[in-house]
Amino acid sequence: MLKFGLRQAGIFALGLLGALLLAAAISALPAGRAAYPGAFLQHLLHVAQFDFGASVLTGNPAVAEFSARMAATLELVGSGALMALLIGIPLGIAFGLRRSLRAAAPLIQIVAAAPVFCASLALIFVAVNVLHWHDLHYDGTDLFQVLAARDQSQLVHAFHIFSLPAVTVGAVGVAAVQLVLRGAISDAADEPYRRNLKLMGLSAFEIERIYVAPQVVAHLFAHLGDIVLALFSAAAVAEWMFGWPGAAYLFVKSVALHDWNVVALILLAFTAIKLFADFIGALSAHALAHPESAR
Amino acid sequence: MSMAIDSPHLARAQTLLAAIRTTGLIGLALIAILASLSDVIARAPADRAGYGSELQSPSMLYPFGTDCLGRDMLSETLHGLAATASDAVLAMIVTLIAGGLSGFVLARLPFGTGYVPRGIAGVLGSVPALLLAILAVGILGRDFAPYAAGLAAAPLAFARAFDRARALGESPHAEYARASGIPVSTLLRRDLAYEFRDQFIAVAARALAAVTITLSTMSFLGFSAHRDLGLVIAAERSSYLAAWWTAAFPALALLVLVLFARLAATLEEGERP
Repeated sequence: MLKFGLRQAGIFALGLLGALLLAAAISALPAGRAAYPGAFLQHLLHVAQFDFGASVLTGNPAVAEFSARMAATLELVGSGALMALLIGIPLGIAFGLRRSLRAAAPLIQIVAAAPVFCASLALIFVAVNVLHWHDLHYDGTDLFQVLAARDQSQLVHAFHIFSLPAVTVGAVGVAAVQLVLRGAISDAADEPYRRNLKLMGLSAFEIERIYVAPQVVAHLFAHLGDIVLALFSAAAVAEWMFGWPGAAYLFVKSVALHDWNVVALILLAFTAIKLFADFIGALSAHALAHPESAR
Repeated sequence: MSMAIDSPHLARAQTLLAAIRTTGLIGLALIAILASLSDVIARAPADRAGYGSELQSPSMLYPFGTDCLGRDMLSETLHGLAATASDAVLAMIVTLIAGGLSGFVLARLPFGTGYVPRGIAGVLGSVPALLLAILAVGILGRDFAPYAAGLAAAPLAFARAFDRARALGESPHAEYARASGIPVSTLLRRDLAYEFRDQFIAVAARALAAVTITLSTMSFLGFSAHRDLGLVIAAERSSYLAAWWTAAFPALALLVLVLFARLAATLEEGERP
């Protein structure tokens, strides 16, 4: 386990180094072609000390611009992740265990072909024309304050604002989680050890609980980075669609206006989160798959 | 005994996969024909305002209706589909060269030096492809949107091809080839030929699905110079809530294009391209 952990830590550290180099390369873009190498080295030194300079648009430190927005993105990704786990896990188990449910495969294939922005437009259409919600655009409402105040009209308003972006991100997460689980369960169903364990007298439930469940959960952890990446990708589109004041929305605006310091910082943060998810996922998967080495 | 049980099951699964792939390829071929003849089939040139009266719902005269500027949505959808398909093919080629081919070749670099580009691809692949493509457009300009989308999809394609090539390099046939003195370049040529034969359609279709989604989303967000389906849908954003057909038909065309590419790649349901 220690050897595996050190190897994964090394991969994580190298990934972070690559992300820092990428951030420095982006920060140095305004220098122009002739002065670029010098500017790159200078920015690399600054970035290594987590000094990302100032936003050229507001003059505020890039870190301040970013941290004000990242909380909103994490809120969105967190709610999407919760939905992905609550719906994706039962769905993945159902699709994996009940092969008759494979009849739904063509429908899922069609839904999966829809780009996220098209799905968001469809959600907005249903919300406005069927549910008669007309307050979908983010207007500065603080979800936690509303929850604390317990005012019913404010709660309904907050629900209208938060639910659609969360559903957009969550739907992508559900697709990712169910796919990983379904694959793991299908693989486990064909494992030869099942038959041998049955011959040894173990009940089907015991085999599932002791042998199959850890294998399936390990598979989910092994793909944690991919699930996190899918959630952040969806959040990028959802933030734009619903005016959500998150980091991905800031990224799009900053690229359009060539605010490279902010762009570099957001990219570094997104990359670091994905690499961290890969790292944690790999360690957890290994610990579950090799419990004897985890002790 | 196990073989006897597995063989019909395996044969059925392979037949189903072949049928799905063929359906996808036929669909893509039909879209290619439609896209190449769009100027002939479409009744109005692209972005032609005032072709009909405003916001006409679908009818015999206007099968896809008209939008708030009186544009014929059937013509707009066809032109948008042609622009999307041609840009997507260009982006797919970029992905195949910068991702699939490079990954396969660089995996065979001596002394494990191929792991350096593999690491770079791993870092770039940790960024959502859409954000990577937007960044590339921010640096290169909107005219380079197809290249940007292709480059953004390349890291994942590179990583997949690299890992496959490494696995092939460690397979028994490679061990025997090395032991019998067959040069590395000959082995690479042989593996590349088999890779092309067995994987090209799946890899290319997967890349097509990925870049089509990225390209149309970029256009929707305003990061493309071409009037493709993403931009057509974005232009109808203010009117589609009252006139569903203005966005529904272009979105449907986009969905069909991605769906056929996914089928041709035989992606699993819910799998990201």
